[in-house]
Amino acid sequence: MDLALFSFGPTGWGDELLAGLDLTLRLAVTSILTGTALGLVSALGEVALVPLLGRLLETVNMVLRSVPELLVIFLIYYGAAIALAALLAPFGIAGLFEINRFWSGVLALALIHAAYASEVFRGAFLAVPVGEIDAARAFGMSPLLVFSRIRLPLAFRLAMPGLTNLVMTTLKSTPLVSAIGLQDLIRVAGDAGQNTKEYFQFYMATLVIYLGIAAVVLLLQSRSEHRLYRHLRTR
Amino acid sequence: MLMDAATLLDYLPVLLAGAVITLELTLFTLIGGLIIALPIAFARNAERPGPRWFAQSFVFFFRGAPLLVVLYLVYYGLPQIPGIKESPVWFLIARPMPIAILALSLNSAGFLTEIIAGALRNVPAGEIEAARAFGLSRLQTFARIIAPNATRLALRAYGNEAVFVLKGTAVVNFITITDLVGAANQVYFNTFDPFTPLFAAGAFYLVIVFAMLQLVRWAERRLNPWAFAAPSRERHR
Repeated sequence: MDLALFSFGPTGWGDELLAGLDLTLRLAVTSILTGTALGLVSALGEVALVPLLGRLLETVNMVLRSVPELLVIFLIYYGAAIALAALLAPFGIAGLFEINRFWSGVLALALIHAAYASEVFRGAFLAVPVGEIDAARAFGMSPLLVFSRIRLPLAFRLAMPGLTNLVMTTLKSTPLVSAIGLQDLIRVAGDAGQNTKEYFQFYMATLVIYLGIAAVVLLLQSRSEHRLYRHLRTR
Repeated sequence: MLMDAATLLDYLPVLLAGAVITLELTLFTLIGGLIIALPIAFARNAERPGPRWFAQSFVFFFRGAPLLVVLYLVYYGLPQIPGIKESPVWFLIARPMPIAILALSLNSAGFLTEIIAGALRNVPAGEIEAARAFGLSRLQTFARIIAPNATRLALRAYGNEAVFVLKGTAVVNFITITDLVGAANQVYFNTFDPFTPLFAAGAFYLVIVFAMLQLVRWAERRLNPWAFAAPSRERHR
């Protein structure tokens, strides 16, 4: 291993890799937060008593879970510009639109994340013990209060392990955005490899970085589960 | 506006050729993943710490690494192994398809190992004891009691993993293979209509996923006939 390759400054690739890592992390965090919020909304739509809306959301989520991530990324990146042009044409605004690559990537990953998160949340909401909801009602809580104090916190606790698994999944999908030209970690590593002909070292470094992030996420997962399920421990 | 029948008809052969590549990759990856995962699943459940440690590292490695990174490492890393270009193996791996199948199989094996090892661990100990008490040998116990039981337990998770393998095959676009997504992309570059080819490709994927899930459900019925035959269960659906 040649450490000079990873130094900072004009001769090394350290600063470029760091910029790539920064983009990857920003993309991952934005997608995961947006996707989790969207997933919660979608799950509420699915368990709400509007059958048609629930069916529609279920179908959309099922499709998003069945097609490759890359397909969704391409569809949003190519499609958004055309859809925007078509939407604005009736108002006399014509022209070519350049869609921001970063936000196309975020939207695609967030929608896929939401499709899985919706499933997790839905299961969690259905698993909240009916007795607790009955008890809250018997105490005279309004439906909104029951939701915010009983159903939502309990469902979140139940959803936590599933949600952290999804964090890992979405994190591992981030390199796919390099297909639409984003300078993320793996793209920078590829450029560095092409320039120096040291592909293996740079991809190995990328792998180590991703495994490091995965280890941190796993650690946080076990920590948070330790805290969340303190009341269930036998010893 | 969203689907153009003429474009679809013109480019259907292109999309179908891509679908064949996707199906080939999925099939070979499912086989390859199983071949790699089976021995590692046994190591994962081993008493000795050495094999167990190896299996746990393998699982952490391939579950934590993005598929694309694994693919690039194999694609660019293998040719750098000294002497590999003179060996007979080189003839086999100097093309993108076998490389892609190897990388996809390794990645899938990381997930499969946990599924198989978990299923093997969860075979009821009483059934194994009963088999031993009847005088079945270790091999017979495995073939008649452990393997069928574990298959039943693992089937649903295996079906989900198969869907992930199918979705994962799309990464081969990064190493110049034109699969279903790649074919749709080509049609887009020729027609500047992204919706028709990408929606058509999506429909292909949906059909394949449905077929896979149907196959798993069929296998479940075959392996657990009692769970499906009882009329009292049917009423609750």
